[in-house]
Amino acid sequence: MTLRDLLLHLRALATPRRVERELDEELAFHIERETRKHLADGLSPADARTRALARFGSVPLVADRCRDARGIGFIDDGARDILYALRTFRRAPLAALTIVVTVALGLGLLTAVFAIYDVVLLRPDAVQSPGQLFAVAMGQETGADTEPTVVFTRRDYEALRRETDVFTDAFAMNASAARVEGRLTRADLVTGNFFQVLGVRPSLGRALLPDDERAGRTVIVLSHAGWRKLFQSDEAVIGRRISINGTPFEIVGVMPDGFRGLAITPPDYWAPLSLTEQFPNSAGGRTDETAVEVVGRLKPDMSRDAAASALALWASRRPEFKKLPGRHIPVRLTPRQGTISTADVETQLLFAPLFFAFGLVLMIGCANVANLLLARGVSRQREIGIRLSLGGSRRRIIRQLLTESLLLALAAAAGALVVSRVFLEGALAAAMTTIPPEFTQAVSLLNLAAPVADWRVRTFLVAGAAVSTVCFGLAPALQATRLDVVRTMRGEVTRDARPRRARQILIAVQVGASALLLICAAIFLRGAFAAATHDPGIRTSDTLRVSIETEKQRATILQDLRTDPSVAIVAASSRPTHGVIETSLSQSRMPVEQVAVSSEYFTVLGLDLVNGRGFTPAERTAEAGVVVVSQSLARQLWTTGNGVGQVVRLEPPAGDSSRVSADARTARAEPARTLTVIGIVREPSRAPELFIRGVYLPTGPESPGTWLFVRVRGNLDQVRLALLERLTGLDPVFGIMTLGNGMQTALLQIGFGLTVVLGGLALVLTVSGLFSVLSYLVEQQAKDIGVRMALGAAALNVVRLVLSQSLRPVGIGLAAGAGLAVAVAIVLMATPAASEIGGVIDVFDPVAYAASALIIATACLIAVSVPTLRAVRIDPIATLRKD
Amino acid sequence: MARHAVPDILPGTLDLLILRTLQTGSLHGWAISDRIQQVSQDVLQINQGSLYPALHRLEHRGSIEAEWAVSELGRRAKYYRLTPAGRRQLAVESSEWERMSMAIGRVMKLA
Repeated sequence: MTLRDLLLHLRALATPRRVERELDEELAFHIERETRKHLADGLSPADARTRALARFGSVPLVADRCRDARGIGFIDDGARDILYALRTFRRAPLAALTIVVTVALGLGLLTAVFAIYDVVLLRPDAVQSPGQLFAVAMGQETGADTEPTVVFTRRDYEALRRETDVFTDAFAMNASAARVEGRLTRADLVTGNFFQVLGVRPSLGRALLPDDERAGRTVIVLSHAGWRKLFQSDEAVIGRRISINGTPFEIVGVMPDGFRGLAITPPDYWAPLSLTEQFPNSAGGRTDETAVEVVGRLKPDMSRDAAASALALWASRRPEFKKLPGRHIPVRLTPRQGTISTADVETQLLFAPLFFAFGLVLMIGCANVANLLLARGVSRQREIGIRLSLGGSRRRIIRQLLTESLLLALAAAAGALVVSRVFLEGALAAAMTTIPPEFTQAVSLLNLAAPVADWRVRTFLVAGAAVSTVCFGLAPALQATRLDVVRTMRGEVTRDARPRRARQILIAVQVGASALLLICAAIFLRGAFAAATHDPGIRTSDTLRVSIETEKQRATILQDLRTDPSVAIVAASSRPTHGVIETSLSQSRMPVEQVAVSSEYFTVLGLDLVNGRGFTPAERTAEAGVVVVSQSLARQLWTTGNGVGQVVRLEPPAGDSSRVSADARTARAEPARTLTVIGIVREPSRAPELFIRGVYLPTGPESPGTWLFVRVRGNLDQVRLALLERLTGLDPVFGIMTLGNGMQTALLQIGFGLTVVLGGLALVLTVSGLFSVLSYLVEQQAKDIGVRMALGAAALNVVRLVLSQSLRPVGIGLAAGAGLAVAVAIVLMATPAASEIGGVIDVFDPVAYAASALIIATACLIAVSVPTLRAVRIDPIATLRKD
Repeated sequence: MARHAVPDILPGTLDLLILRTLQTGSLHGWAISDRIQQVSQDVLQINQGSLYPALHRLEHRGSIEAEWAVSELGRRAKYYRLTPAGRRQLAVESSEWERMSMAIGRVMKLA
């Protein structure tokens, strides 16, 4: 087949009508030309045409022969291969089905991971030309800290829109949460031009308009997810009024499925940004002072760099920004398409182990199929031998065998689409039931949904099928065609076509991969168990953590809590910040965590004072000049470990003073202080989000931004629900948590569930592969074993013979799997981003390693025992007579 | 014009005749058969039922390539042209043919 041949064939395939028309035209031209010639010779027009036609013969016949002439080659061969393959499948449907199911399972699971990867990183939101959308970020890019350091307000946005011309249009948005009829929902507050700029149309009703915002109309547009979740996809929802945080809003539209509002998952609804006051947020303050995100559609003729420098120029002239330290304000435009930027290496890294683990299962599946095909290759030796001796080229037969494999893989890809869908739905449902109830509400805000397959996922499936074909089909095809034609024709089946080493490697790889997955599962399970039973070193049994989001209601909520009979004590704590400490004795400076707590805090959390005293109720600001130091820090600062009465100097960290974000503004106001140590306090051993090692400054529950810690009387969960019910009236996004390790345990359980499903599947595949290979080998060697037994070999020798074929690869596989697990653990611990896992689970847990090895060894022994017993029971006389 | 009963062209020579005819330039199918007929002084009349399949076969093999162009009749016709590969094939086959016909001639004279 030449390249030209291929091109012509492709053309015939792509435009079959055109090729046919050209053929007709070519032949018609010939007849016309011939007719003209006869006319010139003096014939009448009718005669001329008749003669020309007669001389040409049957036009359809010629056309047919032309088609034949060009039809030899590639396409025809392909069609013939496919027909042949289908006949083979009909002859051995069970083998074909096994292959399809195995590959479909492996490929389906891998595709599920890819579908998530696709949504998170690759698939832009369903908006017009997402490539033109950029978010505006201002300020220094300080390494890992990618937070914009200049906060945009509504007024800044208006000015940008008015005074610059790099965008065709820009909108501002801000995420919020609110209660709809008592249920917590996620809202995106957007300027009126949001839907116009994005170019999305509602599937029901209308979108938000600039007029809605200007007039401050209380209207919302539902997302498809919100519509389904809150209104069960009721078509009659348009025009209905609902109460959001107590204010009635009218539903004017529903957005189509697939539109995510430039996020990875959609909010429940969109509301006009001018109504920000109806939606409380932690910053509080006036509408035009609330931080917003500004996203613009770049003009088509504008380059990203040119736009960024134009905006930087504008920013440096704007008086509001000039007050900031550092005159030059760099502007960055970051693509905003509703995905995490692919430049985000950490997210990519997060997916790497997932792809690896799921890829392993597919690989094991492929190894199984390869084994099966190797075995079938031997039984098909006769058929292949005949084809070879009839003149079939080896290449041609390999192609035929690969076509078979590819067809099976493509069928498996179709199955994998279903498998991935079922797996994603199932995993999501399982994860949601595992999460402790106090978190379900927060998680439901994410509007998680199993991603729908798009063209990327389909392409991935087809590519996966092709790669699998090579993985499981190529080696057996090469092996099967490596034949001695003459011997095969005589009916002698070549016993050992060198498949033994290939098989042993396959078994070792399979065992190793299952070992790795099961070790991970065991580590997760042990971690979950440890987290659930771990003593965090603080009092969790009757403590609740309360976070107030609507600061203006703080006094009322505090009053309510203090008068509630089920509440015993109320304490408070700020969120931890960083500082630098210096003692009067040594001049060394040391970075520390610092947190401000109320006088009741140590009592409520059950943290005993080792030395000195805690804060008195009168000491409720840093002005009091007193500090409590945690035990291990005290040991580091003073050799005796007792620093009571010592004087320390505490400064905010040097780097932070340049930050101009809402948080930092308060931090900057805090000067360096000289403080007297009044107490040393025990540390909690491990408590999520709580501060462990550092210094405590005094504060009071009235200070804004603090969490409240509440000691309750009676059943913890009942009190939690009762408080939640009553106080959400005052603060719609009011939250109460227990201090247990519930979430951590749940996450570890999810990790366990995932790895145990993968590991279990891997083990089942491995064991079934091992079983079938050994059974097959025993069957093949029946004659051999018979001879040995007839010559006096004992049963033990036969057992040793069979076991030696499997135990070695199993042992090698186990060692390799465990070694790989250790290697992964070491790499994990060496990675800064992942090393925190070490604090949660023990990645070198010997029990987990031993248990997994035991499980695999047992399973392999069971798989081996049946064929071995069969080998021992072979009747030497019967086998020797057989052929 | 009287029609002779023309013996079929020797099998395998049609390709050679087509390639040789195209050596001087590109022609459409009818012109190829007409040229062969004229040059051979009406001895060789190409069977149209074989000409077009042969042209398509040669095209697929890469010996000739086709292009649509306006013909002497003012309508579109498919013109064939030798490719470099076809030129090489022609050289090989024509020398082979000469050797063969000389051999046959010698046998006819001397045997």
